[in-house]
This record gives sequence, structure tokens and C-alpha cells, in this order.
Amino acid sequence: MISSDIQIVLPEIILALFAMGALLGAVYTGKDKTASFLTWLTAGVFLVLGAWIGLNGQGTQEAFGGMFIDDSFSRFAKVVILFSAAAVLIVSIDYMAKRDLLRFEYPILVALATVGMMVMVSAGDLMALYMGLELQSLALYVVASLRRDSAKSTEAGLKYFVLGALSSGLLLYGASLTYGFAGTTLFSGILTAVGHDVSIGLLFGMVFMMSGFAFKVSAAPFHMWTPDVYEGSPTPVTAFFATAPKVAAMGLFARVVYDAFGGVVGDWQQIVMMLSILSMFVGAIAAIGQTNIKRLMAYSSIAHMGFALMGLAAGTAMGVEAMLVYMSIYVTMNIGTFAFILSMEKDGKPVTEIKALSMYSKKEPLKALALLVLMFSLAGVPPMLGFMGKLAVFRAALEADLVWLAVAAGIASVIGAFYYLRVVYYMYFGEDSDALDGTMSPVAWGMLVASAVIMLVGIVNLFGIVPMAAEAAQALVN
Amino acid sequence: MEEMLREYLPIIVFLGLAIAIGLILVLAAVVVAVRNPDPEKVSAYECGFNAFDDARMKFDVRFYLVSILFIIFDLEVAFLFPWAVAFKDLSMVGFWSMMVFLAVLTIGFAYEWKKGALEWE
Amino acid sequence: MVEFFTTTNLGILLLTVGQCLLVLVPLLVALAFLMYADRKVWAAVQMRKGPNIVGVFGLLQSFADFIKYIVKEIVVPAGADKFVFFLAPLISFVMAVIAWAVIPFNDGWVLADINVAILYVFAISSLEVYGVIMGGWASNSKYPFLGSLRSAAQMISYEVSIGLIIIGVIISTGSMNFGDIVRAQDGYGILSWYFIPHFPMLFLFFISALAETNRPPFDLPEAESELVAGYQVEYSSTPFLLFMIGELTAVVLMCALVSLLFLGGWLSPVEFLPDGILWMVAKMVFCFFIFAMVKAITPRYRYDQLMRLGWKVFLPMSLAWVVLVSFLAKFEVLGGFWARWVIGG
Repeated sequence: MISSDIQIVLPEIILALFAMGALLGAVYTGKDKTASFLTWLTAGVFLVLGAWIGLNGQGTQEAFGGMFIDDSFSRFAKVVILFSAAAVLIVSIDYMAKRDLLRFEYPILVALATVGMMVMVSAGDLMALYMGLELQSLALYVVASLRRDSAKSTEAGLKYFVLGALSSGLLLYGASLTYGFAGTTLFSGILTAVGHDVSIGLLFGMVFMMSGFAFKVSAAPFHMWTPDVYEGSPTPVTAFFATAPKVAAMGLFARVVYDAFGGVVGDWQQIVMMLSILSMFVGAIAAIGQTNIKRLMAYSSIAHMGFALMGLAAGTAMGVEAMLVYMSIYVTMNIGTFAFILSMEKDGKPVTEIKALSMYSKKEPLKALALLVLMFSLAGVPPMLGFMGKLAVFRAALEADLVWLAVAAGIASVIGAFYYLRVVYYMYFGEDSDALDGTMSPVAWGMLVASAVIMLVGIVNLFGIVPMAAEAAQALVN
Repeated sequence: MEEMLREYLPIIVFLGLAIAIGLILVLAAVVVAVRNPDPEKVSAYECGFNAFDDARMKFDVRFYLVSILFIIFDLEVAFLFPWAVAFKDLSMVGFWSMMVFLAVLTIGFAYEWKKGALEWE
Repeated sequence: MVEFFTTTNLGILLLTVGQCLLVLVPLLVALAFLMYADRKVWAAVQMRKGPNIVGVFGLLQSFADFIKYIVKEIVVPAGADKFVFFLAPLISFVMAVIAWAVIPFNDGWVLADINVAILYVFAISSLEVYGVIMGGWASNSKYPFLGSLRSAAQMISYEVSIGLIIIGVIISTGSMNFGDIVRAQDGYGILSWYFIPHFPMLFLFFISALAETNRPPFDLPEAESELVAGYQVEYSSTPFLLFMIGELTAVVLMCALVSLLFLGGWLSPVEFLPDGILWMVAKMVFCFFIFAMVKAITPRYRYDQLMRLGWKVFLPMSLAWVVLVSFLAKFEVLGGFWARWVIGG
């Protein structure tokens, strides 16, 4: 029994062992001198594991008496998480090395956070859920304050930690209420206990847990930490925050509402809708006044979470499918955008002012064009891939008869388009200046261009992720 | 339940008695002893100098580090207690789970050792 | 009459109070003489006479000291946090004393025969740190503050290894009740006591106990030469006395723990002599004698050496011992000889 269990969690175990081995290996040998190699190695391990999970997984299996679930939903999320984490690691090496931030703990912490995320999306039990979530969060708190001598970075880490602890508290409170009223921590058991009519205690538990998740996906009104943490953290870490953990938290959110509260879709649907609308509007409106591109990306991610939640709010398999597609596209766009932001520098110092992009198109037409594509895609302008993602969630909402939600989302996305277009405006029509002079590492350049190309080419068939997402959604919803 | 609570009754009584004795001792001195404070007597002791500044000052971060490490290892011990009591009835899975837990903690310990978290001066 | 004490609530309460006093009063009186013994041993090693004025051979010295403390003025520093300032010695005293509620002196002679006795002692002795920290902080003076930091860091550092050493014994016994632990050491007299199979741990435990109770050579918190008297600088009169009693009680408690965990408690070392409370007392006094001797003959440690010893020597050793014991016990290495000896032998 135990060996088959271990078989199922093997990827997580391998990654955890790798992280621990790397920690010891590095600290006993060259310490920070090994960091660059270790980062590449970690990224390599991520890629191999991602490919292995993606190609090898079959059907639905449960380990440890249902505490850990390996189904196509978790596999889809894991592949996205692993690939995006690998991409962020690879892009960040150059930036980190330049600023003397490339400590060997960085890839290891990212690896541990990734283990946490993999456990999160596979959780079949409140305990496993919390364990994964905390492993992820604790590692992220540390990387947020990786630049120890910067007040902003430590502030970011501390803010993230304090608010994160608060949200973990909310989540735990909800989890213990749920456990108390359902009598079990297993999702399957909670599902039976809930039935089709949720009791008031379980309802409270569910609401508290959802507040905790909303914090982790940075959905309004639990988004306050996002801009400060995004701004203060070293940019590669921001890039990481904006990608893999979002997917994991979203996966966990979907996992819990379907696996544990699947019988009372109507009850949580309202909450998700509220989160979704608030996030879209907060993200769209608050971003308008931002002058710092990292803060802008923070609000952008809040808005995007709103759209992804819209898929979840539909409460159908189609909605989950749309959400997964949306998240995959979102992650791809963000990696490209952050690859560019990482290269924004002047006189060797990183620049994050949007104004610094003035007339960038004259100097670097190709990069400006790539960023233009990404910005259009983030705004959801057809025919970029971002539009396809939005289309999917809109369709899911409409099919679920949530017309007003779709209309609100439409309005929000029009408002949101404004600030993406502002970035483009600066690049092509801004005042003439020579604010940026940095060169881009070939890897980051590759990521930027690849991501932009994907945004254009992808609309043909979205690289076939739709049927995979559909299968994943089927596995979850049924 | 009643039985179990009764086992703890002596502890409560003992606690009460100990507090009573402590209070009596303090009060005895308050009642019996002279009280004659003057500004020099009640100022903080600093080798005969007047106190330079407030005593609520910054202190070495290593004390903080020690307390963090203590929490980690004390938790480890707290986990070990029930495991050790039930040792004879443990299955192999239970045994090895704890060994894995200890191994993970030991890796952390080796790391902090090598990182210099245990160095003083 | 008997029924009154065993059935009615009031009777049970009164009986318990009586039992508690039966433990508490002899304990406090014994402390007075142990304090005297401590000073006598110290003096003897240094070829002095030690206290010899009050009573025959100075036997009543501690009682004279006690009266002296009571008539001394309580000086409260101007900047002190008054409530915490008085709470600290009280906590220090109460925590040291109430741990005795679960210590058996003979088979069944125990106030609270609870099944988590060791855990209780462990928890209570962790709380003693609060007395130290609060005392140092509330004084609002630099020496106490630094002294309390050092003291607290030292106490918690060694607490970890004490905990791990206890785990080894619990694995052998399968119980956290002191009575069960002592009974498990019954059999072939002294040969069955845990100090043989757990030999290295006896030393580790003893040395950790020295550090945990801030006794020399680990009395850095009170290092006169640098910190005057550590966290107790601003204390006088009975609050200071409470700190002192608390400290000494903790020392004697450690003696009791050593006797119970490693030296067979009230069991007789040879089979033809009866078991009984005298053995327990004798073992405790022996341990205390060693404590006093160590105080007299060892030079003080430096703080970095102290922390190094705690974290880099004791912690790995005790952890390794736990793993070793559990492997030997689980897999019955050496034909199960060691395991049978130790586990439910």
C-alpha cells in the first residue's frame, strides 16, 4: 500500500529530495559560487519533471487514503507550474547575477515552493492542502526579502509574511470549522457531509477558506498586499509571484470548491462572482494611476485573477476548462512581459518607471514590437492569444446564464485596456528620451520574443491545450 | 473524564499553595521591612554611573536566531514524545516516517551549522 | 471519617491540600539544608570553614538568611515595570515548585499520578524561562537585561538536548509516567538501571541540567565579573529570595530527574535490601553533592563555548542517540539483547 502511495507522489518526493540534496551540496561546497549552476539545474529538473508528469500520467489515482489526488486536473496545473517556474528561473539568472543577488538558496527556495504548489493542486484533504500551502508560502516569504539590504525588499517580505499569516489564519479557521461540522478532513468526506444543502457552520467554514484562497490568488478585496510586494521584491521574484503560485492557488481554489463543496455550487458561486467582479474592477481602475511598471503588473494580475475567477464562477466543467486555459495564457504572457521588465535598466541600475519607456520603439523596434504584442494580448485585443482566453471565460459565463457578469467583465476589460495601451503609447508616441540603455540577455530576449510569437501564432489552435484543459476540467467537476 | 480530571487536582492545589507561599513571602517583606526609597537608591544600577540611556535597547540578532532554532527543535521533541510512548506498537511506516522527519530536520541543522548560524563571536 | 476524605468533594480537597503540604514543607525545609550543604561543600573544597556560627555547625544558617531577607527593604527601580517586576520572581518560584507535583518519592507516593508526567515537567521547566526574561526586562536596567537574554538563550539551548535525552528513556519504557519508568528499571538491582544502557546520556543529561539551571560552570547569567548578578541585579529582599529558592528548587528537581530516569528512583541497588524512599533521597543527595562539587571545582565557561557545546555537541549527540536507540529497539540488534534489556525487560 505504502509503496504504491509513494509511486503516486514520486514527482513531489523527487523534487523535495533534490531541494534538500542541493541545499546540502551547495552549502558544503562552493556556497554562492554554485548558485548559477544550481539555478540551471533546478530549472532542468522542473522541465524534466513537468514533461514526465505531462506525458506519463494516466487516469485518476489516490494516495494515502485520498489525501493526495493525482488526476488530469492536477497534472495540467503541475505542468503549467513547473514550466513557468523553470522559465522564471532561467530568465532571472542574468538579473540576479548582475545585482549580486544570486544566492544558492534562491533556486532551492523556488524548488521548495514548487513542491508546495504541487501538493496544493493535488490536495485531497484539508491537511494536505494546508501543508502544501504553507510550504509554498513560507518559501515565498523568504524569497520576497531576498535583497536583505534593501528596505523595500524586506518590507515586501515582512508585509507578505504578516498578511500571509493572517490569511493562513483565516483559512485554518475555516478549515477547522469545516472539519468540526463535517467530521472529516477528507474532501470526499466533506462532499458527502455537505450534501446538497450546506449547514450554517459549514457555510462559515467554506467562506473563511475561500477568503484565504482569495488572498493567495490576490483577488479583491484581499489584494492589498499585491502591489507593495510586487514592487518591493526583486523583479525575478515578482515574476515568479505573478506566475506559478497564482496557478497553484487557483488550482487549489477550484479543487476545494468542487471536490469538497461540489454539491452546493449555488452557495459558493455567489462569492466567486463577487470576488471576480471586484478584482476585475479594482485591477482595472487602480492600475490607471500607476507609474511603476511592477505595480502596474500587480494590478494587472489582480484584474486577470478576476477574469480567471469568472470561469470558476460559471460553476460548470466548461468554466473550469476556461479558467485553466486562461491561466495558461496568462502565465505565458507574464513570463514574456517580465523578461522584458527584467532588462529595463539605465546605467546598470534597474528602472521600473513606465515613463522610461518613452520612444523605446525607435531604439529597439523588435523588442518594442514584442512588448506591444504582449500588452495587446494582456489587454485582450484580438487577434492575440489573450483575447482567446477572455473569450473562453466569457463564453463559460454566458453559457451559465451569468450575462450580467459577462457584461461587467466586458466593461472592466475596456477600462483595463487603457493602461496597457498607455505603455504602448509611451513606447511609440512618447516624448523623446534615452531613458533605457540596458542590453538584454539572450535568454530573456528569447523568452520575450517566444512569448510574443506564441501570442500571435497560438490563436490557430492554442497549441492543443484546450482538449487537455477540457479533460482536466472533466476530471475535477465529475 | 471525572477520574482523569481528579488526577490533576493535586497540581491545581499545589499551584495554589505555591502562589500563596510566594505572595506571603513578598508581602511579609512589604509589611516587615523598612521602606525608605531615595532617588539614588531607586535608579538603575550601572556600576555607580548614572544610567547612560534607556535599557530597552537593541540587542544581538543571534538571540533571536537561537530562539527560532529552539522552537524548531522543541517542536521536534514535542513530536517525538507521543511517538516514543507508542514505540512498541509502532508499525514500520510509523517508525520510518519519524526517521524521515528527523532526517529532514537534520538537513536543516547541517545547513544552519554550515551557514554559521551557530557561531558566537 | 475515612469516607469523608475519599467521597465528599470537600474531603478530597482537604486531603489533597494535606498531601501537598506533606510534600511542600519537607521540600522547602530540605532546601534550606541543601543550601547549607552546598556552601559547606564549596567551603571544604577551598579549605575554608563555611557557615559555622548560627546553630550547631552553622546548621541554621539558611534560616537566619531567610529572616534576614524578610527584613530587608524591597528596592524597586524607578523605571521598572512594577507589575512584571514582582511577577517575575513569583513565576520563577511557582514554576520550580509545582513541577514537584508529579515526582514520586516511593512506589505510589506521588501527588498527581498523571500519565504525561515527564511532558508536564518538561513544559513547566520551559516556563521557568519566563521568570528570567520578565525579571530582566522589568528591571529596566542594562545588566539585568543582558543577563536575562543570555540566561534565556542558555536555558532554551540546553532544553532541547534534555528533551531528546528524555525521549531515549521514554522509548525504553513506553511511558511518560515516572512510576512506570522506575518500575521498568526493576529487576537485577543496579544492573537494570538505565544509566548502563543509556550511559552517555547520563552525562549529557547531567551537564545539560547544570546549564539549564544556570549552575556553575554555566552560571554566565550571573557572571559577577561582567554582568554583576545578571537578571537579579535590581532585586532585593524576598523577591530575590524567591529567585534563589526557585533556582535551587530547579537544581534539586534535576537531581530527582536524574535519580528517576537513570538511577532507578527508589529501587535498591542490591536485591537483598528493600526498596524505599531512603534510596530515592540518598540518590538525590548524591546528585546534589555532585552538583555542589562541580560548582566548587570547575572554572566558568565562556559564552560562545557554552553555546557551541549546547548546539554543536549536545544536540547532535542526543539526536544521534535517539536514532540509535530506536534502531536498536526496532530491529532487535544484537539478538535483541539490548532491546530486551531496555524495552520492557
